[in-house]
Amino acid sequence: MPTLLELQRAVYRSLVAGDDGPCAAHVVADGIAGEARLNIYRNTFIGNLTTALQRVYPAVHRLVGGPFFESAARPFIEAQPPQSAWLDEYGVDFSEFLAGFAPAASLPYLPGVARLEWAVNNALHAIDATPLDLSLLAAVDAADHGHIAFVPHPSVGLVTADHPVDTIWRAVLSQDDTAMAAIDLAAGPVWLIVERNASGVEVLRLPAPEWRFMSTLCVSRPLQEAIDAGPEIDAASVLASNLAAGRFIRFKLRSS
Amino acid sequence: MASPSTDHRPRLHPPPAPIGAERGAIPALAGIGLRFPHHTAVLETRPEIAWLEVHTENYTDGGQPLAYLEAIRTHYPISLHGVGLSLGSAEGLNALHLERILQTAERVEPALVSEHLSWSVVDGRYLADLLPLPMTEEALDMVCRHVDQTQAYLRRRILVENPSTYLRWRHSTIPEWEFLAAVTGRTGCGILCDVNNIYVSAANHGWDPSAYLAALPPAAIGEIHLAGHSVRELGNGRVLRIDDHGSRVIPVVWALYAKALARFGAVPTLIEWDTDIPALEVLLGEASRAAMLLQEIREGDRDADAA
Repeated sequence: MPTLLELQRAVYRSLVAGDDGPCAAHVVADGIAGEARLNIYRNTFIGNLTTALQRVYPAVHRLVGGPFFESAARPFIEAQPPQSAWLDEYGVDFSEFLAGFAPAASLPYLPGVARLEWAVNNALHAIDATPLDLSLLAAVDAADHGHIAFVPHPSVGLVTADHPVDTIWRAVLSQDDTAMAAIDLAAGPVWLIVERNASGVEVLRLPAPEWRFMSTLCVSRPLQEAIDAGPEIDAASVLASNLAAGRFIRFKLRSS
Repeated sequence: MASPSTDHRPRLHPPPAPIGAERGAIPALAGIGLRFPHHTAVLETRPEIAWLEVHTENYTDGGQPLAYLEAIRTHYPISLHGVGLSLGSAEGLNALHLERILQTAERVEPALVSEHLSWSVVDGRYLADLLPLPMTEEALDMVCRHVDQTQAYLRRRILVENPSTYLRWRHSTIPEWEFLAAVTGRTGCGILCDVNNIYVSAANHGWDPSAYLAALPPAAIGEIHLAGHSVRELGNGRVLRIDDHGSRVIPVVWALYAKALARFGAVPTLIEWDTDIPALEVLLGEASRAAMLLQEIREGDRDADAA
């Protein structure tokens, strides 16, 4: 007789790895084989998680169609079952998986669309946070300005891709065939910022230098480091507009 | 997420409040399961429905879904129905999961909190289904320990729901209805009696659904669930009934519900629908049918009192 833990590990091997043997031996057959009974649970496991991925990646789903999406979701799910029951948080590595998924090789923009959708999903579900009180910033000694390290708003995400994935994403989700037909895949890379504000989730294009500047600030590196990395931009005005947009919520002083 | 570990078990708090002491109780009327497609419609049209139930894990710590729920809860009593705590996991409860339920409960102030008699997590991986437990003394002790722990951490009584199952384990020794009655007896938790699940499991395993109902202690029943299910052909005339919440409640389940009400009295009753979610009106129609049966039971009770 298996312990509860042994039995649960056997069910895991059955549902996730398809190894029914040790588990089916513990099932009362009663006219229906243990394997067939376990298959009901396996279908639910795969089906529920495929639905969860489809909810996070609706544009990818529409781009490739249901059967293709399922054929990509299944090996992903089997390789990386979720570590939490909050399925809005499931699938962070799906874009990376798609990049290595041979049947999707003819759609080079697909991983970029997936990265954008993950950022949108994060923006949708990020915790609420109050933008930084600018008077706190004004109180910082001028000598310390370079040491300011910001904490971005939890909804803010920065995505870059070699293809115009924002245009693709919008056209696909609005089912706008004209916009789809007009997409120029050779239009070159895009640098995007994703955030949630009062009107919902927004995806905006940034000039590449500003995107790089924000990328440095959004991982809480000191302001001076972002300035040094992008001497071509007007750091003061770029910073001011991003502060005004509520993209930072806190800061601390750090020297490196 | 932190991996489940006995080292991080929440500390015990004072015992949960006694039966019936929940804040702002759910009325013994019909409610519906609220899913994302109906968030806007419910807020805009404010349908006449006594209460709503949501899946706890559909609401992360912030963002738009929670904002909708916070708006909706100002108009309706809310029940938080968890699908992922995994009361039957041998490795113990995930402390972070429990903390997130507490956080959500503090924001939403639900009138009821419920979970399932099942397991979903092993070695820190969530298998996205309500998996069947062996009905053994080991599993019973484990579930009771986890229910105690949950009630202590949330500082409230929870309801535990009977699952639909498609297999039985050879080494099970306790009938499911006795197992469930023992959990409520030992922990003081209530029972969320899913009448459709009783019907589905009874059909799948050759049990008598009326005997199942008769074995449950009426005083512990805090809520009833009703839903549709499907029938899967497995060849050679063998079928399994699958609890997919994707259709109307079937007549034989309505009849079993009437029996449940006759035994338990009027209990808050929920219509669940999770796949191929129909228009809100369809859900409200199903709920009004439950409401009529609840009304008949109340009138019957009054007649009996008057006689």
